[in-house]
Amino acid sequence: MLTIDDYHLENGLRVVLNEDHSAPLVAINLWYHVGSKNEKRGRTGFAHLFEHMLFSGSEHVGNNEHFRYVQSVGGVLNGTTFFDRTNYFETLPSNYLALGLWLESDRMGFFLPALTQEKLDIQREVVKEERRQRYDNVPYGTAFERLLHLAYDPDYSYHWPTIGSMQDLEAASLDDVRDFFTTWYRPDNCTLTIVGDFAPDEAKRLVAQYFSDLAPGGSFPPFTLDRQAASHEQRETFASPVQLPRIYRLYHLPKMGAHEWVCADLLTTILASDKASRLDRVLVHEKQIAQDVATYVLPTESTGMMLLQATAREGVAIDAIESVIDEEIARLAVDGITEDELTRARNRAEIEFAHQLETFDGRADLIGMMSTYFGDPSMIHRWLEPYQSATAEEVAHAARKYMIPENRVTSLFIPEH
Amino acid sequence: MTTIDRSTAPAPTDPRPYHFPRITRTTLPNGLRVLVAESHNAPLVSVRALVRSGADHDVAALAGLASMTAEMLDEGAGSRDAIRLAEDLGVLGAALGAGADWDATYISLDVLSRNTEASLEIFGDVTARPTLPADGLERVRAERLNEILQQRNEPAAIAGKRFAGLLYGSGPYGNSIIGSAESAARIALDDVQRFYREHYVPNNSSVVISGDIDAARAIDLLTRDLGDWTRRPEPPRPTPQPRKIEASRIYVIDRPQAVQSEIRVGHLGVARSTEDYFALSVMNAIFGGVFNSRINLNLRERHGYTYGARSQFAFRREAGPFVVAAPVRNEVTRESVSEMLTELRRIRTGDIEDRELDDTKSYLMGVFPATVQTASDIASRLIDMELYGLPEDYFDRYRENIASITKDDITRVANKYLDPDRVLIVIVGNAQQIREPLGTLGFPVHEMDIDGNMLPVG
Repeated sequence: MLTIDDYHLENGLRVVLNEDHSAPLVAINLWYHVGSKNEKRGRTGFAHLFEHMLFSGSEHVGNNEHFRYVQSVGGVLNGTTFFDRTNYFETLPSNYLALGLWLESDRMGFFLPALTQEKLDIQREVVKEERRQRYDNVPYGTAFERLLHLAYDPDYSYHWPTIGSMQDLEAASLDDVRDFFTTWYRPDNCTLTIVGDFAPDEAKRLVAQYFSDLAPGGSFPPFTLDRQAASHEQRETFASPVQLPRIYRLYHLPKMGAHEWVCADLLTTILASDKASRLDRVLVHEKQIAQDVATYVLPTESTGMMLLQATAREGVAIDAIESVIDEEIARLAVDGITEDELTRARNRAEIEFAHQLETFDGRADLIGMMSTYFGDPSMIHRWLEPYQSATAEEVAHAARKYMIPENRVTSLFIPEH
Repeated sequence: MTTIDRSTAPAPTDPRPYHFPRITRTTLPNGLRVLVAESHNAPLVSVRALVRSGADHDVAALAGLASMTAEMLDEGAGSRDAIRLAEDLGVLGAALGAGADWDATYISLDVLSRNTEASLEIFGDVTARPTLPADGLERVRAERLNEILQQRNEPAAIAGKRFAGLLYGSGPYGNSIIGSAESAARIALDDVQRFYREHYVPNNSSVVISGDIDAARAIDLLTRDLGDWTRRPEPPRPTPQPRKIEASRIYVIDRPQAVQSEIRVGHLGVARSTEDYFALSVMNAIFGGVFNSRINLNLRERHGYTYGARSQFAFRREAGPFVVAAPVRNEVTRESVSEMLTELRRIRTGDIEDRELDDTKSYLMGVFPATVQTASDIASRLIDMELYGLPEDYFDRYRENIASITKDDITRVANKYLDPDRVLIVIVGNAQQIREPLGTLGFPVHEMDIDGNMLPVG
């Protein structure tokens, strides 16, 4: 059983400690509860561009020095941005805990004095290259963006991906950076998780020393998201430079953590994971009309989503793939799933969870997620319980309820000629 | 709470010791080498078989044979067909994989430790008793042909293939690991069975186990499941025949829709066994191996040309390539190549700051524990020891080996192993937009198609 120590500083910073001396390392992980869903229209991609800026120095840490301080003592570090949150993390030799806390507190409290137009301009170019590399210059690169456009209304801020649009990245100004920092980057919008080789009293003393004099922010801007259910399926066919046709689908789900979301997670394993999973077996192994098939749920806070994709083999029409997928889903909805399938899906959830807990950084990130989305880091003790209690009937019910045409959007990628 | 001085970085406390898990070694009577590293932090076990033959054994006409043979292993083994294997592994909470790289073939098993015993039995079948069925080969082949087709639109894959082809021709390290449409179509069941028979032999292999298992128990189970694997003659080692690069040349592969150029600049590197391994590791980290390396700071953080630039010596059993790589927007293709060459020249001059040498060495020395947190990480390190014949005290002596590297060593190996005047420059991009600017660099510019056929310029 992991020991979890969970408390708040007076300025609102949530601190979660998990002591573990199995390696001479500490993982420091900060989840700020802000992501691309907090962006305004016309500034898509901003939360992620901002994440880049937070590595460009603060009042007492020079440009690129954050990376240098961490790497030069043998640490590893990064940050990521998603719809609902932005995380920053480093794993350090455990005798450098104070260094990590100094760095993170400096950019939480003293970022603005170091901000310059030149830094923004460079990071804007870097992020535009990131978009080109990951989205615009590779086959199928814009598929997720296209699905989001189909699935959510323009005023529902899951409508765009975290990378944003080139035009909006171009428009981002220094004032935008200042506003975003002041609004969201503050101790009362953050969970600081530390996992690893530390003495709890010493860790608490250091956290207080570096973070307790940082001011909480004012009130948060009002934020609501309401998704209007569609009355029918949104579909598109998109011709682009790809060799093989591919179908992409997004099914709406309840938000992560709901029991039905867990059932849908199990369902994705039963549908497409290994050779014995249903879609894999029929499409790839038996009929041999598909190159690959995958389904998975995303860890999203405001609403849930299940993604499905399958690639047609050369010479196979994408309609043929789609028909088989729909037949298999219909068959599962009517006949249900076997206990054996459920056992395999539970096992996969268990081994994936065990792998995530295995590293200090993976564990810290999970704790940050549970604290941020559910307000409860101790969920880490109970995370697998709904996976164990879900019944075969509940999983089949999730298929019947959610995997229906009016609850999905479909984007068909076909080769251009 | 007293106010603290934030102006300088806090000092570290005393370092805590790190010890790589103790390794238990044995060799089974059939010649199979076994290494076990216990680590009971998580209820997980990782098992890896290493067969010391990979795509380096592929001949051009049958390129892809080693990797297709690896993919055939879970098409049926022992008494189970492909579906039954997947079902039984799923019930055990076990993930099985197999694949080949240039130097070797790997079979992996990651499992919940409570099911290690039953899973190892399946692992033994897949490794030593695959059925290699004819219908399985047709499945593997169809998947492979479609994969090869898909890569024709992937700029990074195209750049890698063309660079390897130009450097090594059609010999070892020169063909694609996955083969070509022609070679994959040609591979017959006889070829797969022959490759399996000649190379998958216990005395050409090692098995490593790490994680939540008792070492003696692990050895007993492996003796049970792999003790009957039959010893046969060890296969001979192939030798790559790299082509000599007489002068720098640019090769452009046109991708009319490209919004970025995939750049590869490099030449022949050196084998993993080189006595200069540690000096080269430090030199490459300074040059392009980490985020704060010269290449990335220059192209990304100073110029904003790319999301990431890096360099690598591919340390293989024989000399792999040295490559500097970055995807950059079309408009700055020439400038990016020029900056890469400038940095290659600069690191040979001895212009190395004390701080960048110290930072890089302390990074390499300090980062090791963070990279071996999992049973799977530890298994990978044991596989490296076996594949490259590293000494038993390798991990214990790693720090002192890095610590001993001096500025003179960096300058010496930069001059010995980097040759900025004789590089291959391979660029997959929008030829119409980048052709002319590249011409001003002063090197011949050739154009080839994505299969490596030379084209008339223009």
